[in-house]
Amino acid sequence: MSSANLVYVGIDLGTTNSTAAVFDGDKVTLVRNSQGSPITPSVVRIDARGNLIVGARARRFLESDPDNTRAEFKRLMGTAQAIRFAAAGVERRPEELAAEVLKSLRKDIEDQLGFVPARAVISVPALFELPQSSATSEAARLAGFERVELLQEPIASALAAGWTIEDKAGSWLVYDLGGGTFDVSLLETRDGLLRVIGHDGDNFLGGRDFDWAIVDWILEQLARKDGVALSRAEPGHAATIRKIKLAAEEAKIELSRVAETSIAVAGLSVGETTFDLDLVLDRDTLERLCAPAIERSLVVCRRLLAAHGVPEGGLTRVVMVGGPSVMPMVRRQVSAALGLPPEEGLDPMTLVAQGAAIYAATAGLEARPTALEPVRGAKIWLQYPAMSSDLTPHVVGRLVERGRASNVVPSEVRLSRADGLWDTPWTGLDEEGAFVLAVSLIARRPNVFRLEGRSATGGAVVLDPPTLTIVQGLTISDPPLSRTIGVATAGDDVRVYFERGAPLPARRTFTLQTVETVAKGSKDSLIKIPIVQGEYDAAHLCRLVGALEISGGELRQTLPSGTEIELTIELDRGGRMAAKALVPATGQVFEQIAHLLVPEAAPEVLDAQIVALRGRLGELRTDAFRRGLAGVIDKLGKAEAALVDLALDVGAAKGGDADAAQKARRSLIELDALLESVELDRRWPELDKEAREAIVYATIVVSEHGLPHEQSLFNETARAVERARQTRDPLELQRQLRLLNRLSYAAGSRDPEVWRRRFENASVDLGNLTDPVKGQVLIKEGREALAKGDNDALRRVVQKLWQLTPGDPEQRRRGHDSGVR
Amino acid sequence: MAGKPTMADAQRRLVENPFYVLGLRPECSRLDVEREGQKLLGMLELRLKSAAIYMTPLGPQPRSAERVRAAMAELRNPDRRLLHEFWARLPPRPEPPKPPEPPRPEHDLEPFSAAFAAHGWRRP
Repeated sequence: MSSANLVYVGIDLGTTNSTAAVFDGDKVTLVRNSQGSPITPSVVRIDARGNLIVGARARRFLESDPDNTRAEFKRLMGTAQAIRFAAAGVERRPEELAAEVLKSLRKDIEDQLGFVPARAVISVPALFELPQSSATSEAARLAGFERVELLQEPIASALAAGWTIEDKAGSWLVYDLGGGTFDVSLLETRDGLLRVIGHDGDNFLGGRDFDWAIVDWILEQLARKDGVALSRAEPGHAATIRKIKLAAEEAKIELSRVAETSIAVAGLSVGETTFDLDLVLDRDTLERLCAPAIERSLVVCRRLLAAHGVPEGGLTRVVMVGGPSVMPMVRRQVSAALGLPPEEGLDPMTLVAQGAAIYAATAGLEARPTALEPVRGAKIWLQYPAMSSDLTPHVVGRLVERGRASNVVPSEVRLSRADGLWDTPWTGLDEEGAFVLAVSLIARRPNVFRLEGRSATGGAVVLDPPTLTIVQGLTISDPPLSRTIGVATAGDDVRVYFERGAPLPARRTFTLQTVETVAKGSKDSLIKIPIVQGEYDAAHLCRLVGALEISGGELRQTLPSGTEIELTIELDRGGRMAAKALVPATGQVFEQIAHLLVPEAAPEVLDAQIVALRGRLGELRTDAFRRGLAGVIDKLGKAEAALVDLALDVGAAKGGDADAAQKARRSLIELDALLESVELDRRWPELDKEAREAIVYATIVVSEHGLPHEQSLFNETARAVERARQTRDPLELQRQLRLLNRLSYAAGSRDPEVWRRRFENASVDLGNLTDPVKGQVLIKEGREALAKGDNDALRRVVQKLWQLTPGDPEQRRRGHDSGVR
Repeated sequence: MAGKPTMADAQRRLVENPFYVLGLRPECSRLDVEREGQKLLGMLELRLKSAAIYMTPLGPQPRSAERVRAAMAELRNPDRRLLHEFWARLPPRPEPPKPPEPPRPEHDLEPFSAAFAAHGWRRP
């Protein structure tokens, strides 16, 4: 078997352009399309007759026929936004359009390799949310791929750069500025292994922002010089603005080479008036216009480096990826800010696709469709790394069928390298029919091994598979999760399942409890388990990425309030999620995630949210001025500036720009979190008092009733509370207070008097309980336990009574209407 | 700043210590971590009993692919590894003895050929 048999496919499905690459275990080759280019524009056109074209041919119509030619749909992946093609009168989902681009690339690969690839790795931005990743997988399925793995773009870039550059040790920063997204990753290479230390990014920052900054400047010039009033918020102006945007994009590219350029478009119109656009844009103006966007990217870089304690000058390499990163001003500013020049000799436009192809080898995702061949010998189930940084990795195998005649079953096996220079010793199969062999690899090459077997009598035994291949080279450790994932509870908290940075794949199960009774057969009653992604403790500040719903109509029997549900969440290496809920009481399993979509962002709803935010902002600013809080005033100033941008985006959303609507929705969540932190800061005296009281109470309770480990934990927490008070960090103080209260609760629970008081408090609310009849029974049981002095029984009763407490409806609404606690 | 560790903390740190999960000692290299982790993941995928448990100073524990991956991730991070090295100083309990292997044929015991094969080299 030669290395030519191995083919791994990687695809960079970009916002503006897409690229495919193949890796044969030795070198990476770019796939050229029918025009001979390795870059295919991510543009789809459907004409009046329903004919569909993709790529450069479609892009030609982007200006002249924008209603039937669509681009940048990647930014809408995971939303329910339908994209309309007016002439054909059809609508397509973003993933259907992405599938068309993938089909086109798949055809190009077929033309180049002679077969249709069945498996591939597709890159996605590191900070893609789960619905966006899920939509990408769906696009691949629609394009006919049998299996795909998703890979975060910066990992792909680093892998490709690492494969190319010999001297690899040290810390790397991958600065990936795409058409619509910005990702930055901190990586480390050591011993041939690439490790992702951390990610950051902005899902809505890219070259497109440069284009819009130029468009806004053009609109300003037109209004000032020619009195032409064009607005992005006006649907009737959309066609004209699209033409201006294309001209702006061309001028931006031109200014990479020359000091000034003209922007000229003839025959534009506003209503009945026609006009010509003729302006001169120089490089200085362009740099001034783009500076805020570049600075935003640098803020993200600095934040990432600070979060991981990388000092100034601590980086050994900077790799720049993405079309806009080719711009000299971007390279210059990044270089100045990070203190070292970007790596040269790497193609920023195709690096991601190259890395995706190399990763396909790491994941053992061979592109060639598997032909179903008859088994030709004793079947061996093998496990080995398809790609390894280790020069002596292990191959583990197990005989699948053991009960066959002894002359066709091996008692010993060995692996022989195809170059004939190295063999493992003959190794006996153990009592499970298994073996573990260490093999020796030739560096940076595909290594083919023959698997040989011999029977107990020494005769040769044919084994299936007869060969295996391991590529030696730089590999990537398990990719880390980019954002924390958890379940929103009815109390607006988050039950964290996977922390940011957790290695993927991952799986975890927690037991949750329902907050209300769901009657069997009742289709109107529902238990909703919202799955959220984000770094905040409050569920409403995290993004809803899916929900598992259990309807009464599906239940075998009524589930009373407080029923236990074992919820398992599973994530694969690409960050795709599956969830499963088991109700142990009935044995029923629910697996359907009801919706996995980025929530809709209607402009009217966004408008209302902006009004509410403005109100909060005004109130906080008045208060901050009155109290002379300079830091808070500064923070609010930034929030105010963000609100202005946000209003522009909502305006553009009203003009039909669905992408701007999504950007506004996310910005609103971030602003909400910012104002919440200011509000918390305003509550500082109250919070500080609460902390002091909590310390006093916990000191008494934990010293009297706490176990040794609780006392030790209390000492640590008390110190952390003190630190948070000294540094005046309200978020940290709130977090430590929660810990302290939990400790007090745990220690106090050993005090019989505490349970008596808790029982009395819980009994008062009988009328409000979700199941008053059951509550009545429990109260009776509690009184009996009290009379007998049975503290354990009393504790059980109180806990059951708490499960019947309905909770605060407002908190539950904020917790994405969660039906669990 | 951390308070004195309690018995429960100590037990957890021992039982879930990544070195024990991977069956390695604190002196091992980073490459050993990758090599052993990859081998164990393969063995667990093949559902081999020999990989199903790992030994700790407090006795055997069940091993899962999730636990192995988490252990590899912990030991790749130099700061986290330092912490685990401290807790993995105690040697794990020895595994229960296995029945003796049947005697090997005499020609296998010939010193030169055994050494040659053990290094994976074919006779010229």
